[in-house]
Amino acid sequence: MRKGLHEDLAALIVGLAVVLVALAVTWQARPAEDAASRSQYPKGWPTPLAATVGTPATWTDMPLAAFRDRSGTVAVQPILLGMGWVVLVGSVGTLLAGGSLRRFLTGGLVLAGLACLAYLLAAQKTVKYYNLEYPLWALAVGLFVGNAAGVPRWLSPAVIGEFFIKTGLVIFGAEVLMSRLLALGLPGIMTAWIVTPVVLVATYLFGAHVLRVPSRSLCMTLSADMSVCGVSAAIAVGAACRAKKEEISLTIALSLFFTVIMMVVMPPVITAIGLDPLVGGAWIGGTIDATGAVVAAGETLGKEAGEVAATVKMIQNSMIGLIAFAVAAYWAGWIERDPAGPRGTLLGEAWRRFPRFILGFLAASLVCSWLHSLGPEQALWVEGATGGFTSKLRGWLFCTGFVCMGLQTNFRQLAPVLASGRPVLLYVAGQSLNLVLTLALASLTFGWLFRKVVEP
Amino acid sequence: MSEPVSPRCAAGRLLAGSVLVALVWCGLLPRLLTLGPVYRHVALMEERGVDPSAMYYTELERLPLRPAWVDDVLILWPSSVRGFCAQGKSAAR
Repeated sequence: MRKGLHEDLAALIVGLAVVLVALAVTWQARPAEDAASRSQYPKGWPTPLAATVGTPATWTDMPLAAFRDRSGTVAVQPILLGMGWVVLVGSVGTLLAGGSLRRFLTGGLVLAGLACLAYLLAAQKTVKYYNLEYPLWALAVGLFVGNAAGVPRWLSPAVIGEFFIKTGLVIFGAEVLMSRLLALGLPGIMTAWIVTPVVLVATYLFGAHVLRVPSRSLCMTLSADMSVCGVSAAIAVGAACRAKKEEISLTIALSLFFTVIMMVVMPPVITAIGLDPLVGGAWIGGTIDATGAVVAAGETLGKEAGEVAATVKMIQNSMIGLIAFAVAAYWAGWIERDPAGPRGTLLGEAWRRFPRFILGFLAASLVCSWLHSLGPEQALWVEGATGGFTSKLRGWLFCTGFVCMGLQTNFRQLAPVLASGRPVLLYVAGQSLNLVLTLALASLTFGWLFRKVVEP
Repeated sequence: MSEPVSPRCAAGRLLAGSVLVALVWCGLLPRLLTLGPVYRHVALMEERGVDPSAMYYTELERLPLRPAWVDDVLILWPSSVRGFCAQGKSAAR
């Protein structure tokens, strides 16, 4: 990309435009009656845009079943339109960045097709119910194609993975509702707010200074993934600290591997040691990386445990915005600072290096949080626009971004770090600290201090 | 990114990989579903409407939250804190 806007700025503009369009269209189609009724619209107002972005449905042994809806009728159109959104977003980004639309289009269509293939692999029932999320398969598809056939010259102009991921992150900001940070009040805050930053900082410092992992961005991405909320945190924080593609890929692979183990092992362990289900739910919510896996493990323990686990995880989810902003500021102000360079003010230097798309992510989050807090009607408006459309579109953009990342990944660069076993050691050490601290605080808050208020 | 390969070699590799993926996804993985623990796990998740592959809470089909926790996020603050907040609000008025 040359001559045009910087990639960060292009992602910021496209991402915010998508969020505004989603809000405007959803508002335009608002229900005439009972617009504030949560029982009528449990997932927010229905948005017409939902029909324009779909993903392959769950299938068991016949992949073609993924292209049919629940009633069995063929439902290819929303999937094709989802691919169309990818091509549209990529085309606008290419134009804004001064690239050639003609050169992007052919490759863009192929990339959207590969993203669809990744979604199809992730939609197989066994894969889906064991939390092997689409980013893993998108990376695998990209790696396979890149290594088996190489990246042809005509595809290269469309391999703008960072743009897709950054745009997806700006759109993702609309789902990060700050008001959710207060859910559960003190017990939730004590369990999620105290443990998460402590584990994040301790794991990062342990990796950088004790294990001496050569890459600080790898330490930070791994720490955020493990202490906040898995893959989504790895994407946001990895982009904020400018981690390499290989580092984000490695983090996601490690995270999903340990998430599957913890999702399967934690519920029987909690039952075996006779831990209270509410404390167990909070423990699961604070420690298992992926949101879906948290709900799955919590529900295995029981309804109450599932509720507590989901709520603690939701609070952690909502911390992504603040943490990504803090990491971006820390990286721009301290880590990337050149001591031999010209001495300006710390703030000025930090601003010069600050990744601008993070501002878009934060702006989308703040605006949607504010709208969401205005009243029940506005809350259903935001939830409808994000749940019905933007969350699915950013899924497509992340998926395409990861296919690009797989195509460009060179694991040979990471071979020495991987061979040392340090990233695995760092993950295990950080997760062990997370398990101990979360159990202690969950026992204190959900088991003792606020026992009476959290009981159903 | 790997070194450029000949079209014939690339086609062969892509074909071999695709066959392997098809065998695993259409043969091995569906068989795994019939194993006791896997079957029970999937059945429980389907029964409760849980999607373990959700990356973020907005992707969940159903978010298992108590309605009171959603409608009033401060409901679980201890009464002393709620009383203090209420006093602050009335003083501000």
